[in-house]
Amino acid sequence: MAARAGRCCRAGLSCGALLSPALLSPAVLSRAPATPRWGRAAFSSAPAVSGREGPQAREGSVRRRGRTLQFVRSAAPPRTERMAVDQDWSSVYPTAAAFKPASVPLPIRMGYPVKGGVPPPKEGNLELIKIPNFLHLTPPAIKKHCAALKDFCTEWPSALDSDEKCEQHFPIEIETVDYVSSGTSIRNPKARVVTLRVKLSSLNLDDHAKKKLIKLVGERYCQETDVLTITTDRCPLRRQNYDYSMHLLTVLYHESWKTEKWESEKSEEDMEEYVWENSHSQKNALDTLLRIKASENVSNVTKEELLASEVVKNYRNSVIALKNEGETESNISQYKESVKKLLNIQA
Amino acid sequence: VQDRHSDNSHLALQAKHTEQHEGRLYNIPLEELSAVFPHGLPHRFQQQVLTFNEARVMVRKPALELLAYLKGSNFSHPAVRYVIYGERGTGKTMTLCHVVHYCSRQGWLVLHIPDAHLWVKNCKELLQSSYNKDRLDQPLQASVWLKNFKASNERFLQEIKTQKKYMWGKRECTEEGRPLREVVEQGLARVRSASDAVGVLLRELKQQSHRGSFRLLVAVDGVNALWGRSTLRKEDKSPVCPEELTLVHNLRKMLMNDWSGGAIVTTLSQTGSLFKPSSAYTPQELLGKEGFDALDPFVPIPVPNYSPKEFESCYGYYLERRWLQHEKGQGWGGKRGMRVLGLELVSSKWAKKLDKLNTDFCTHRDAQSFAVPSVSLQGPRTFPPCASGLISSVCPCTPRVST
Repeated sequence: MAARAGRCCRAGLSCGALLSPALLSPAVLSRAPATPRWGRAAFSSAPAVSGREGPQAREGSVRRRGRTLQFVRSAAPPRTERMAVDQDWSSVYPTAAAFKPASVPLPIRMGYPVKGGVPPPKEGNLELIKIPNFLHLTPPAIKKHCAALKDFCTEWPSALDSDEKCEQHFPIEIETVDYVSSGTSIRNPKARVVTLRVKLSSLNLDDHAKKKLIKLVGERYCQETDVLTITTDRCPLRRQNYDYSMHLLTVLYHESWKTEKWESEKSEEDMEEYVWENSHSQKNALDTLLRIKASENVSNVTKEELLASEVVKNYRNSVIALKNEGETESNISQYKESVKKLLNIQA
Repeated sequence: VQDRHSDNSHLALQAKHTEQHEGRLYNIPLEELSAVFPHGLPHRFQQQVLTFNEARVMVRKPALELLAYLKGSNFSHPAVRYVIYGERGTGKTMTLCHVVHYCSRQGWLVLHIPDAHLWVKNCKELLQSSYNKDRLDQPLQASVWLKNFKASNERFLQEIKTQKKYMWGKRECTEEGRPLREVVEQGLARVRSASDAVGVLLRELKQQSHRGSFRLLVAVDGVNALWGRSTLRKEDKSPVCPEELTLVHNLRKMLMNDWSGGAIVTTLSQTGSLFKPSSAYTPQELLGKEGFDALDPFVPIPVPNYSPKEFESCYGYYLERRWLQHEKGQGWGGKRGMRVLGLELVSSKWAKKLDKLNTDFCTHRDAQSFAVPSVSLQGPRTFPPCASGLISSVCPCTPRVST
């Protein structure tokens, strides 16, 4: 009786519910391609076969299927029912293995739901078996791995107890990847890639050098985090790639400190940020102010005086903010106020 | 509702619009409208004028701000540039028109370019300029503009005299000291030289404005067209830069602040602009680097959507004019036995749908077949009396021109 009920359990209903066979409709049974442990799995498990006339699980019953006789054995209940809550999971899944629904005591459903229904359950669910799972890498399992590896590790230096100290003493980070696979060869061509990361603030660069370096490296510099990333893989060995990346860093540093002759031809389009001095804006502002002064018959006002005046400084800051930071409501209103003061407009 | 829409035109005459009038609509008499605005009013507003047989302009904060600046400006200083900007359909052109109306009431000379975008696209004829071989003339656009300019500024054209002798081609010339009207008529008569006539006109006005005999208002709608790109092509299919067009070149010179005795009020416009994304509305986005550098330093004037007070005012106006009808309001139920539509605000999309019910009576059943969306605060342009054919479809008995 219990066995029968158990088998009915697997027939698409929630696990753990015991149902009397009387409640079962043939339709329910026909929907469930139960995966029996033995026997009938070898034959097709087309649901229609185990349909209405299908065998209710009878221990040791004999069924005629085609010309051969078949013994139908009842299926044992899944292992999940006998699992304790505080069991050692890393012994259930010690290594990477496929998903076994009878070994995983979780009510997982996966797949596209039937219309008006729910996703299919885990029993016989090919989707769950196909995907990779990390049931073998639970935190307790990882702890055990770490404990096993501890004997091979050296201690972390106690003086480096914060991120800032690490950055201060070791500004350059080298990243390499080792690959392990089951196969005849331990070599992997991807293992030669070396990534070097360094923050530009830890390098000794002045304004010109920093701008030149950023222009030289191009895409490899991230503005938000101020990190330069150099990835090298052109040499066949990891050590060679590491040497090359260090060489690149050295060359970049020294080259950015040098000033070539042609750098004086840097034009407005090349500038990284807006510079107000010698710009159209400055010219326009000065011209306007000079005309205003001329109309008021105030002469001998020099450009330097005008540039040093408060209104012009205010205007300069607002234009720089507008150009560098883009246009926001506050920027535009600040610009408006500064222009009103500059041109002496009263409402 | 009543006092909101009372005829405040006398206040406009005395230029006494102040903050207390914010949200109210003032009337412009129709004869004055055609005199001051031969061109330049937005299309929707023109249709509204036709429908209601009156021109009501709402007094809004940006316009009041601009008027305050203009009133307080020093005309011996170089002309200040004002740039009206805002998102689509918020009322930039109407603000400009309000300012133009104010200035013309005050007796200024108004140089109103209704849409600078029209000068950089869809130009059928491009002639090589006789004055400068590298530039291109646009006779049609120039002559249309000259005609409208003449219609609005007759008085000034008679009074202002030329200061130089101008040769039009080999034989014709305009002597020094002749009224500017002759220059304009020369441009209208000889369409080939219309662009040069415009250039001469602008030059003369610029040079003479500082004397103080007249005040000059340069009003340009869609000023970002002057520094953008154009879709025009020369005969060898190479693209035309805007500065190669005579009209654009001369207008750019006009917008510099090297003259005094007036003001320059401009509008940025994305609708009608070329190669600009539809979400662009801020000055730098639309003007570009070149335009910004040319207009800098300018006073940017933002125009927002309707505030709640303005919204109520506009809604009340349409109710009063019986454009929008309310079930509970003064209904039209009576005579024809029609059921009245109880409508929330229609956006123009739904209004166009309703327009399709052309000659049928719009019964309650029909109205219910449209799910009319309820509306949060909308801007001026979602009130399109023109697009909503409500009046014609609901009440064919309503005369189009109300008395």
